[in-house]
Amino acid sequence: MNAPTDIVVRMGELAVSADPRACLVTIGLGSCIGVVLVDRIRRVAGLAHVMLPQARAAQADGLPAAARGKYADLAVPALIDAMLAAGARRLGLQVALVGGAKMFGAGSGSLDVGARNEAAVRDALTAARLRVRAAATGGAKGRTVRAEVGSGQVLVRMAQRADEVIMQGAA
Amino acid sequence: MTRYTELQLDALGELANIGSGTAGTALSTLIGRPVDISVPHVRALPVEEAVAAAGDADREVRATLVPITRDLQGSALIVFPPQDAAALCRMLGTDPEGEDGASALAEIGNILCSSYLVALGEMLSMEIEPCPPETAWDMLGAIVATVLLGQGEADDVLLMDSELLVEGESIGLEFMLLPLGQGIGDLLERLGL
Repeated sequence: MNAPTDIVVRMGELAVSADPRACLVTIGLGSCIGVVLVDRIRRVAGLAHVMLPQARAAQADGLPAAARGKYADLAVPALIDAMLAAGARRLGLQVALVGGAKMFGAGSGSLDVGARNEAAVRDALTAARLRVRAAATGGAKGRTVRAEVGSGQVLVRMAQRADEVIMQGAA
Repeated sequence: MTRYTELQLDALGELANIGSGTAGTALSTLIGRPVDISVPHVRALPVEEAVAAAGDADREVRATLVPITRDLQGSALIVFPPQDAAALCRMLGTDPEGEDGASALAEIGNILCSSYLVALGEMLSMEIEPCPPETAWDMLGAIVATVLLGQGEADDVLLMDSELLVEGESIGLEFMLLPLGQGIGDLLERLGL
């Protein structure tokens, strides 16, 4: 088998692939959330790199589909649409969430964007009638996520740790 | 597209130069060795690009975050390659892997940031105050993104970074000032720009 091709999904982007050798990757999620959708039967996977909970009014207009990953409320429907367009079936979609950490404590005076991102993503998924099957969220550590299109396996790695499978691939 | 003119960015670079010079002197006093300071980079970028510009997202680093308050908001982030952090900890007689090591790095961050901000504040007659430091040992991308996004949405962020090198020890660290919001405008106004 050929070596997998990494498709890096940068901050605010979303990507979908139906290439069984491809692997969708997002490196260094802190308070950001990686939303992974997988259809293991049709072998389609998608990943959105969500930065913030909500788009400001009027921001949605004119934002290209690939840049809709930035906001939780826009990213979830855009990712679902892109999955269906790439051949996934709605009933086959499985969801994994990664990220949403609170890397610095209360002393930093910052809002807990990680928790707000996760809540907004979960709200958008509920609105789309999708349930989260696996999650590696919260805590204080950054994470890197890899979603293998061919197997549907989702792997997470934290600093100073080894890869951990959070969603099993097809048998 | 940037909201800042070349002249404004140059002026911010000059401020960063003076600030990091003062911080370098403070570090030198702390460890009893001469410290070299690079010419600072000042860039105004969207958050996504600022995170990429800060360095390799999956590079594991140790970092001290010092939030900034009063007349200027934002954060200072001091980034240490892990082996350089360890060398600094040992120089200060602490165990790099332990709690002591983490507090030594927090303290170094605090001292660097305080001296940098005092220099800035004096020049501009602004009250700029550091908050208590926090440390992390994590992926650079996760740290920088979280710090930049932690203060809500901003269109462009300012990244003012300088490198400090301990002479003869091959110990380096990076000082990033990440000012946000209205304070930047006030600061430029005081410079007459």
